[in-house]
Formats: sequence, C-alpha cells, structure tokens
Amino acid sequence: MIFDPILDIFRGKAITIPPLDGAFRANTALDDAAVFAALPGVDNLCVAGGTLYATSGATLYTVADGAPQEVETFDAAITALAAAPDSTLAVALDDGTLMEEGKPADLPKGVDCITALAYGSNGSLWLANGSDRHKASDWAADLMEKNAGGSVWLRHAGESFRRIAGGLGWPYGVLPQGDGDAAIVSESWKHRLIRVGLEGVDPVLDNLPGYPARLSPADGGGAWLAIFAPRNRLIELVLQETHYRYDMIATVPRDYWIAPALSSNRSFLEPLQCGGIRTMGVHKAWSPTRSYGLVAKLDDDIAPVFSLHSRANGNRHGTTSAVEFDGRLVVASKGGDSILAPEVM
Amino acid sequence: MEPIVRMEGITKAYRSVPAVKNVDFDLNEGEIHALLGENGAGKSTLTKVMAGVVAPTSGKITYQSKPVQFDTPHEALEAGIAMVFQETSLVPSMTVAQNLYLGSEKFLNRLRGIYISAQQFLQSLNFAVDPTAMVETLGAAQRQMVEIARAVHHDARVIVFDEPTATLTPEEKRHFFALLRRLKARGVSIVFISHALEEALMISDRITILRDGELVATGPTSDFDREKIIAAMVGRTLSGELYSKRDVSHLRKPGKKVLSVQDISMGAMVRNTSFSVFEGQITGVFGLIGSGRTETFKIVAGIYKRDFLRGGAITLDDEPVRYYTPSEAVRDGIAYVTEDRKSEGIFETMSIGENLFGGLLSAGREDGLLIRTRAIRELAEEWTGRLNIKTINSDARVVELSGGNQQKVVIGKGLVQKPRMVIFDEPTRGVDVAAIAEIHEIIKALADEGLAVVMISSYLPEIMNLSDRILVCRQGRIVEELSPVEATEEKIMYAAVH
Repeated sequence: MIFDPILDIFRGKAITIPPLDGAFRANTALDDAAVFAALPGVDNLCVAGGTLYATSGATLYTVADGAPQEVETFDAAITALAAAPDSTLAVALDDGTLMEEGKPADLPKGVDCITALAYGSNGSLWLANGSDRHKASDWAADLMEKNAGGSVWLRHAGESFRRIAGGLGWPYGVLPQGDGDAAIVSESWKHRLIRVGLEGVDPVLDNLPGYPARLSPADGGGAWLAIFAPRNRLIELVLQETHYRYDMIATVPRDYWIAPALSSNRSFLEPLQCGGIRTMGVHKAWSPTRSYGLVAKLDDDIAPVFSLHSRANGNRHGTTSAVEFDGRLVVASKGGDSILAPEVM
Repeated sequence: MEPIVRMEGITKAYRSVPAVKNVDFDLNEGEIHALLGENGAGKSTLTKVMAGVVAPTSGKITYQSKPVQFDTPHEALEAGIAMVFQETSLVPSMTVAQNLYLGSEKFLNRLRGIYISAQQFLQSLNFAVDPTAMVETLGAAQRQMVEIARAVHHDARVIVFDEPTATLTPEEKRHFFALLRRLKARGVSIVFISHALEEALMISDRITILRDGELVATGPTSDFDREKIIAAMVGRTLSGELYSKRDVSHLRKPGKKVLSVQDISMGAMVRNTSFSVFEGQITGVFGLIGSGRTETFKIVAGIYKRDFLRGGAITLDDEPVRYYTPSEAVRDGIAYVTEDRKSEGIFETMSIGENLFGGLLSAGREDGLLIRTRAIRELAEEWTGRLNIKTINSDARVVELSGGNQQKVVIGKGLVQKPRMVIFDEPTRGVDVAAIAEIHEIIKALADEGLAVVMISSYLPEIMNLSDRILVCRQGRIVEELSPVEATEEKIMYAAVH
C-alpha cells in the first residue's frame, strides 16, 4: 500500500530472524559427529605444516590421534590464530598482543581486541579488531552495548598495518580472497558477511540466522563458516530495550544475561526456561535457545549450500571455528568442550 | 429383528439424472451402520431422503414398522431421525446454547437457564465447548461438536452423521467414537458416513457401499477389509496409488526461494512464525486443528492481516510485501485454495464457468465491465476437461456437483489465475478416494511444472506421501522441518503435540 512507508515510521522497522530452512535446515549432524578430541574451552583451530593446532584459554595445543599436546602457554587467553605460508604461527592474545615468530609484533594504536587473523597467499596478514571499547573476551558486553567499533586491518609483507574498514559490528572471521588484497569478513553483530578490500566494503551474505564467527577455506572452493550463537526473539527484544539492557548489564551477572551464549542449560539461574523449552522432561529441539552449534558450507559465491547443527536440545554448542584437516572437517565446539569430526566430506 | 428404518427401492433424481437408483437400505436398532462410497455415489442423497431433507422420486420408507413420508427435516426430527451435516448448519450469530435449543424453545425462555442446562449437557458428552460462545467464534471442530450435541439433544432414535470426523483432531475423534458407543448402548441407531475407511472398519457393525447411486455391497463389517471396500467403492483397486510408501530417492529439489516469512504474528493465533517456500517443491504443512497453520497462510494470502506492530516481515522474491486484501496477493501470483469451500471457495448457485471467471476477475485478468458468456462457457469447458470435473454439463451449478467435484472447481478457480505459488488448505477434506487421487495428481503436476506448492493437511499419510519437505506447526509457530527421508508419523506427531 502506498501509505506503508509512512506507517512504517510508527510501526518501526520489523526486526526479524530468518528461518532455519533451505541451506540452514536443522539437523543433528554436529550432535551425531564423532569427537576428534576432547579439549575444554577449545576456541581456535588452525592447520600449519600438516599439523592441527587448537587453542584453549592461554594454551596452544597440537592435536594428533585425538589427543591434544600442549605446545605453549601464554600470559593471556589466545583470541586468534593463523598460519603463515611458511607454516609459522601468529597468535593474538586477549591483552592485545600479537605474537609472530615468538615476538610481539608492532600494532597500530587502538588494535587490542584481535578476534581473527589470516594470511593471504601473497604473505599479507589480515587482522580483525572486534571492538575499540572491549577486549575479545568481553564480546557479550560489546553486543549488549550495541557497539560498532570493529575494524579490519591489512599488512602487506614488509609494511605496517593499515586500516581497510572501520565501524564494523564485531568482525570475527577473515578469509583472504584471490592473492590477498581482499577478504571476506564475518560481521557478527550485523549477522552478515562482507567483502572488504581497497575499494571499500560490500555485503555478500546478510540476514544470517545467528552470529557468524570464523571463516576458513574449503577444499574444492568455497568456505566454512562457524556460527557461534543463534539469534532469538527474546535477545532481539532486549537489544531494542535500551534501559532494560543497561539495568541488566549493571545488576545481573554476565552468565545470566539475556544474551547469546556459547553453552546453556548449565544453571537454573539462566534465562529461557520452562514449558517453552522442556515438556515432560524432554528438551524440545526447536525451543528458543541462547546457544547453538552451527557450521555452514559456503560456495564460491559465498552462498550457503548446507549446514551442520547442534540444536537446542544438543550440547555441541558455541561453534567458533571450523577447518579442514587431513581430508576431513574439524569443528571447535567451545560450549561442548570438544573438537568434532562430522561426516560431511 | 425388524429394522428401525427400512428404505426400499429409493430413487432420487435431480433434473432427471438419478443421484440414487433403486437402493434398498436397512438400519437396525442400536447399530452403527457405515455408509461408504465415492463422492457423488449418493450417500448424502440417500441419508437426506431418510432425514426428510429431500423427497424421494420413488421408493418406500418404513420407520419403526410404519410407512412414513417426511416432507421436512423438522418432521423427521420430531419422529426421531436427526442428521448431522457435513457442513454445519448452525446459526453463526447465535450462542452455542441458543443453537442447541433452536427449534425447541419454550414460550418464555430464561437465557441463564438455557446456558446452565447446555453446560450440563455438553459436559455429559465430554465436549469442551463454552455454551455462551458465539458459534462464529468457534473453530470447525467445535462447531462439529455443537452440531453433534444438537442431534443428541433432540433425543433422536436415529442419527445420521455425514463426515463427522473430517474436522476433528485424533484426540477429539477418540471422544467422538466413545460418544458413538455410548449412543449405541442407549439403543440409538447410527448411520456413519466417512471417507476414512479405517474409522468405518473400526467403529461400525455393518457396512453398505454405494457406487454411482447404486448399492454395490452390504454386510457385517467383519466381511470387509480396506482393499475390499476400496475395490467396491471405485470398481478398481486403488491400493498402491494412494498413500503407498513414498520413494524418497526422487524428492523434488528446491528451486528459487519464492516466499520468506519471518517472525509474523497475529494475535494469539500466529506467534513469531518463520519459514520459506521454494519453487518446484511441495511444502507440506502439518498441524493439529488450532495450531495456526491455516491462519498463517491466510496472512500470506492477504485474507488476514498480521499485527500492525511487531507483526514480522514477509518477502516475495526478496521484496517486502504487506497485503491488505486477498486480491493484492492474487495479483502477485499467490492462489489460496480454501479448506472451507462452501463458505469461502465457491458461489454455490453459480455455474462452474461463472465460478472460474470469478477467479479471473480477482486476478485482474478480466476488467469485469463486460462479462462475456462465451468466455465463461469456454473456460468451463476447458477446465472441466483439465481437472476431470464430473458434471451433467458445463453450465451446471456448483451446488449440483459432488464434494470432490466442487473441490476441483475451487482448485480450478485458483489455477485460472496463473499463480506462481498455490496454497492448498486441506485439499482432500470431504473428498472421496478416487477424487483424492486426482487432486493429488493435480498438486504433483503443479510442483513438477515449477510452481511453489504449499499443502496444508491434517492427514499424516497425505503429508508424507506428497511433500518434498514437511513443516510442522504447533501453537501458532512452525516448530520443525522434516525431510520425507527422515520423517515418520511418530516424529511429525511428536513435534505437533509437544
């Protein structure tokens, strides 16, 4: 109707969550997946020189034959991990340090929330800085404050970092494209993937049903996208209610905020309970939930092809990273404290 | 034992075309007698003759050993023969209690007294219906309950139920069958017309089968099984055609996303429901009555309006849409084939062609200033052929058609609009087995042509047999999507009720 644009001023913009169908059709692939290795709090995964590296807290591990072996423990939690073409590792820490070849690297001022790192084939290093206000471990606070102070930086070999894009809502994953002069970046708080390059920023996939996390290349083209938490109506409502949100931040312990989580159902104090979740002791797979496990396969055009799920009644939640290793997909389930090897390849 | 009703040589002809021909039918005291047949076989006509709704062209009726000739349904009711119609005949603007007592009011009535006795009466039948509720506010199942209660309330000795379970949920059906057994124990004789053959086999003592207006078989239920009944009904064996095991290796692949519904809400009926519909696929939607599935798709078709504030979003080809009238949706290529054909789907007293032409008018494909009778006739001839509508001639009024053929007219009315998405709401409700097979073929052909097809059904075998993906609706939300590969009746029902 011709009056709709005027009525929309009064109605407000509809905040909607896309359905889990089509390529995102719900399944139990992550819950059915074999455990590749048990590692509490596993976060980053990365393959360098034929070895799978994983991080948990401040410790870097190698994972072989299902058993994590400690490599090194740092002073702060590891927030990002990347392998250079020569198989050396870059490690970002929650205190804002970037370690390359065992030494702190020079970072521009304001880059102290590194959420993702990735090397391009030309040796360039892409860096995602999640926020200009919070540390990487304070992601929930950054979301609840509805900040958009994230940025993406690029450093060509032998040069210093330069800012490629700013004003982003928690960039959390970087996938270099071509020779490394452009990258696909997951922007979590805006539920979308964008192409970032010297020409500017261009959305490539938006309206995702969750909060996108890290990206990794897929063998044969395309990419794997880890989605670390689902969107739900209650959280969307809270994000619209400013006063309520700030009261909640000020008075409620962070674990019990009405906010996305990496795992849930571990305490009776959590929000989202009762008959909408559980009936006669059975947890409904389709119930609203704060945490979820979701990994999507994207094609060359960054369009979703299929996805792997751990639903509301599963426990392989908080999928923060997914990479291909030794001809199979491995997924870090931070909420499920394990590295999974789903049957997809 | 002398039967309570004996009908001998009954013939009823409309415009000299016989609907029933020389049928003999006996109903014993305290028995449940299932009357089966395809749509158009003459079941409703035969029972309407019994209940005084129509007068027979020839034949004799004996009731309680006396010859009778009922000229009105009221006379039959007074004598103790009541009929519960397939389409309810309640007064929508009156309350449940007023409908119960309609026709048996005293000179002075105390409304409160009527409500109290109606409440007690409905409770005795185990029907959860508020006697003070207006009938127009009730769902189809509750209306059916009131209709049944009204027949029982009139202390009938013979009750004819025409498709009583079509609108009932499994739970409500259990209550209904328990009620039939209680009535039977009280000596009431029951004629039970149903298309659900399992129900007839389960509940009845005897079965009579009509085909093309003629009696083809009658006998104790123990002499029949599903295959025998179907063979007698249609004169051929349909086994394997209907509801056979689906070959899940040939599911249609989803095409382009046509419709995306995100978090739409409408009062308490539809709550934050989200789903998508794809081209070239049959999207089956299952839900119990009251689950909001019809309401959800009526919002999509512009018949209902979603909430003004926080009502969600609907996009058609990635363009946001908000329809205020159904014709806007029709013009965008969305056709809705209603579950309630009598009141929403057809103009009963108009011809097939005029009904189809109405579809063209609403699609804006005819200006309506000049109604061309030739175009109407051509339309009728084309679509009676394409949809195999069985009729005396293409000028026939829709009211003269059987239920299955009326349904085909409703479908035709949608298809003449050349839609890109068709929503079938209970497409085979009150339709006989042969017509069901034909309607299923129509639905499959549309999906094969690349149209986006939605099929809402509360009959699980139908959902499982036709759908390429299955959405389950519960309490106003789509709660689950299943692939026919993994779906079982138990899984679907679990999602629908838990």
